[in-house]
Amino acid sequence: MVKSYRPDTLPEALKLMETRDMIPFAGGTDLMVKYQSWKGTLPGFPKDVLFLNYISSLKKIEVKGETLVIGAGVTLSDVADYPETPKVLRDAVLSIAAPGIRNIATLSGNICNASPAGDSICALYALDASVVLSKSGGNRECALPEFITGPGKTSLNSGELLTAVKIPLKKANVQEFRKVGTRKANALSKLSFSAVAEIKGDTVDGIALAFGAVGPTVIRSTELEKKLTGKTLEQIKLIQKDIMNDYSAMIVPIDDQRSTAAYRKQVALNLLKNFLESGLVQEMQ
Amino acid sequence: MNDEIRKSVRRVDAVAKASGLAKYISDYDFGDILYARLVRSTRPRAKILSVTVPELPEGYYYVDYRDIPEKGKNRIQMIKDDWKVFAEDEVRYVGETIALLIGPDRERILNILSEIKIFYEDREPAYTIEEALACKGGAMVGDDNIYGEYNLVKGDPDTAFNNAARVVEGTYRTGFQEHLYMEPQGMVGTWEGGRVNIYASAQCPYYIQKSVSSALGVDGKNVRIKQVTTGGAFGGKEHFPDVIAVPLAVAVNKIKKPIELIFDRIEDISYTCKRHPSRITIKTALDKENNITGMDIDTVINGGGYESSTLIVLQRALLHGIGVYNIPNAHVRGRAVATNTFPSDAYRGFGAPQGLYAIEMHMSQVAKEVGMFPADFKRKYFIKNGDMTITNATMKDNVKLEEMFAAADEMSDYTRKIREYENDPYRGIGISFVNHGGGFTGNGEQEIIKGLVRMKRTGENRAALYVSNVEMGQGLQTVLRKIAAKELGLKYTDIEYDNPDTDIVPDSGPTVASRSTMVVGYLIQECAKKLKGKWDEGVGAEAEHRYIHPSEYKWDQDTLQGDAYPTYGWGINVVEVEMDTVTYEVKTTGIWSVFDVGIPMDDTIMDGQVSGGVIQGLGYASIEKCEVLDGRFRQHTMADYVIPTSMDFPEIKNKFIDNPYKYGPSGAKGAGELVFDAAAPAYADAVQQLTGKNIYDIPVTPEMIMELEE
Amino acid sequence: MAKTSFILNGEEVSVEADPLKRLLDVLREDFEALGVKEGCGEGECGACSILLNGKLVNSCMIPLGAVEGADIVTPEGLRETEKGKVIIESFADTGAVQCGFCTPGMMMAAEALLEKNNNPEESEIREALSGNLCRCTGYDLIVKGVKTSAERGKDLW
Repeated sequence: MVKSYRPDTLPEALKLMETRDMIPFAGGTDLMVKYQSWKGTLPGFPKDVLFLNYISSLKKIEVKGETLVIGAGVTLSDVADYPETPKVLRDAVLSIAAPGIRNIATLSGNICNASPAGDSICALYALDASVVLSKSGGNRECALPEFITGPGKTSLNSGELLTAVKIPLKKANVQEFRKVGTRKANALSKLSFSAVAEIKGDTVDGIALAFGAVGPTVIRSTELEKKLTGKTLEQIKLIQKDIMNDYSAMIVPIDDQRSTAAYRKQVALNLLKNFLESGLVQEMQ
Repeated sequence: MNDEIRKSVRRVDAVAKASGLAKYISDYDFGDILYARLVRSTRPRAKILSVTVPELPEGYYYVDYRDIPEKGKNRIQMIKDDWKVFAEDEVRYVGETIALLIGPDRERILNILSEIKIFYEDREPAYTIEEALACKGGAMVGDDNIYGEYNLVKGDPDTAFNNAARVVEGTYRTGFQEHLYMEPQGMVGTWEGGRVNIYASAQCPYYIQKSVSSALGVDGKNVRIKQVTTGGAFGGKEHFPDVIAVPLAVAVNKIKKPIELIFDRIEDISYTCKRHPSRITIKTALDKENNITGMDIDTVINGGGYESSTLIVLQRALLHGIGVYNIPNAHVRGRAVATNTFPSDAYRGFGAPQGLYAIEMHMSQVAKEVGMFPADFKRKYFIKNGDMTITNATMKDNVKLEEMFAAADEMSDYTRKIREYENDPYRGIGISFVNHGGGFTGNGEQEIIKGLVRMKRTGENRAALYVSNVEMGQGLQTVLRKIAAKELGLKYTDIEYDNPDTDIVPDSGPTVASRSTMVVGYLIQECAKKLKGKWDEGVGAEAEHRYIHPSEYKWDQDTLQGDAYPTYGWGINVVEVEMDTVTYEVKTTGIWSVFDVGIPMDDTIMDGQVSGGVIQGLGYASIEKCEVLDGRFRQHTMADYVIPTSMDFPEIKNKFIDNPYKYGPSGAKGAGELVFDAAAPAYADAVQQLTGKNIYDIPVTPEMIMELEE
Repeated sequence: MAKTSFILNGEEVSVEADPLKRLLDVLREDFEALGVKEGCGEGECGACSILLNGKLVNSCMIPLGAVEGADIVTPEGLRETEKGKVIIESFADTGAVQCGFCTPGMMMAAEALLEKNNNPEESEIREALSGNLCRCTGYDLIVKGVKTSAERGKDLW
């Protein structure tokens, strides 16, 4: 018989995690679907369950210095409502599911689910987010691309709990999130695109571009971003074709029940092109 | 006189439903209940070699074809009785019922289920119309996989094509569509009064009674069916409930205890009937002046693993295949094929949406070929009163399409917009014209249904209504009360009308084919007149009225000639769209509709029908993709089979044009299906106009538009 | 099995059940809150909507173990309040109810919206209802029902 635990404090939770192999349960909206069974029967959790929603320290969302810290118990609605949340993340979060789910689901849960179609993950990649992984012995921090290792796979070690998401609050006067879903609301992603950039005068001072649901994990290339950094609009025009070709080689989507590989790839590139040609320009002019 | 009945009243069921007090099947308490889970085929086409069932704990039962009583038949009685209650030696689709596993504990049932082993000898399946016609894996039905074929001929199409200056051709495809009623399929069977009782979320209590009694080998009266509040149906609870009620009844007959069989949503999407996919090829012969001289329509629909009601669906597809047009020479051919997909069955429109989609898209494309705007071209061929129909009878309706078009044009500004958008890569506007025959095709009401209604005076100022037709969301319990109340001079709230129970109500026919208001409502109007004549006999006075076919409508079912329908509802939809050229996503920015439903029996209820029907049709046209992969529906969760949300489409602007039908109550005609029919072609036409590329298939997905744009 | 206590429609209650049991099943089976409907069990349809600490949530997505001490309102509770009565009457008068299976959940979504915004625009109403699916109405009359609720209940929210 599967057991469940409801610790009130983080140390208690971490102690429990040390002693047994458990499924941490934050909002649970992905887990409840995953382990859904015949109505009237218990969800088929294969392991003991650790409820995190009684730990008040995990429910904090706050700015510490230059960093936004979002606890593992913070819901998507709370993230969207928080005034300091970067626009790209707010837009991504508001594109997920519907109000009833956003009121339960957590940002950390979205990350641990590690779906290539996780909308918030796409934005978090572009924001250089990292995660705090806690263990009884102490914490470690891990950049998001190192944490998510494949579809549904993370580098979370046994006994570890993801306790917070950290987002450096860098200057970014251009922030764009685009989701192409299966319908206009309450939809799963066919693909998503996040762009975060700082334009100074007519020059790109910094830029981050991320693509969701077009590969096993979110696709981002700091190398290609470097090629765009320090360039003016005219200079970007000159290298745009090469940049597009380089991204094209990285974008390797699949066919599934929601869309086709051909569509995903084409639209990802269209979104990139559109961003380079108009998203950036608006701020530059 | 008609202004009075159309005035909106508060629906009789609204407050109870909104408060959460209305009881659906899963809300009843039947005491100590057993639960049933279907043991289903996991193979699309196979011979069953053997089934191994583990030893069952006490109180658990495995019920299969061997439990059908000796006098009964292992067949479900639909139009054709080829669908088996339980598979015996072969399976024809994934999900086919092999047995029921029943017991008191659901966890335990799931455990036992995982231990049941079925050994199959697989055969090569055919899933698509093309694979079926090619007899992939060898014919499954007859020697050609064809359940049936019909040919309708008007005039001399051969000569028209021989003399044609040019021929325009197109092939149009529509996909599966899931009903997605909000309440999944469900029923409870009990053993009461020494017989089987079924409490069901269903449209047709007498259909269930017929199928159950035949399988048990008993008289109909020895089976009681009670409909309970039904959370949406749309045709999905027309015949499909038979498919689960009969095995459930066999189990109750064996075990003599109450048993619940309620589907989860995933089961419901995976293992219930869908709308028939279609492939329709239309050729149009034009003379030198670009006038249509002839048309050839070749329709094929995918019936899935069993025929059941497929041929009747096919007939309606053909009878609506030429749309609202008077074409002098035409040949409409139709075939239904057998495949290894879940059997297709009734869905709002019953074949008409497929036929109407194809003809509307084709007419728009012919218009383009001859350099005209769709509406201008289509209007030249509108059928009129007295014109010959495809079944060689005169059109008896006073067709008001021109008046309706004027109204639609004024509301939507179609004529101006289509010219303005001609070279606009972002915006498009589409239009469609449809009709829908009310009631059963041909002489079905007279020959098959013979509907009977009964009324009774139950108090000083009260009367009761006894009909087998059900409220499933469409407002019938309010509308039929209004019709009765009007004749009796009572308030509609003084009329009693309970969910039907076959012990109590006569068989006034099924709740299908947009017949309940038009046909049954008329029976009630006439019955109420009789009861009014007997009112002075006091409380307890009763009256009955049976369907009488109006003699001016003649039909030959063998040749499919004559008046296919006594009257039609008529409709126009205009849809305006914008496209995001980066993502190929289409946003609907305007929806306008005009309908002739005779006289609306309640303005608000009809507004609800229009809005619900049009949005369901727009879902069919745009997002409701349902593919088959290895014999299974690929989109089988509610996350992946997507229906419109409140944010997908804007508010609909609608107008009704009055056109009373003399054999409808206060002039009403059928409406429930008509309001679905026009949306898909109007949407596809709008995208077609926007992209400048012909659209052939629905749903029109962004993926498809991308390919067109390349 | 464990004991879980919470406030249900204003009353303190507790139940002995497996903490992993879905709140939807607890409400229906242990408290006869039959206005909470199961339409999908996968968080997609909103028929099982309730208010949890004042927020709209899908009760099929929440295990009992997660609601210790929480404040829960179901349609059974809402229908007894003035606000609930206004929503019910408005829905009934505007024709927002057809098959009715989605309607109790829609009412919960309407209440959650009006608590935050007592004079919503049409687009805000559509957004607030976007997790509550309806197959009958095409939503227009439900949107009208929420608008009418806001007008009639001006002083309540």
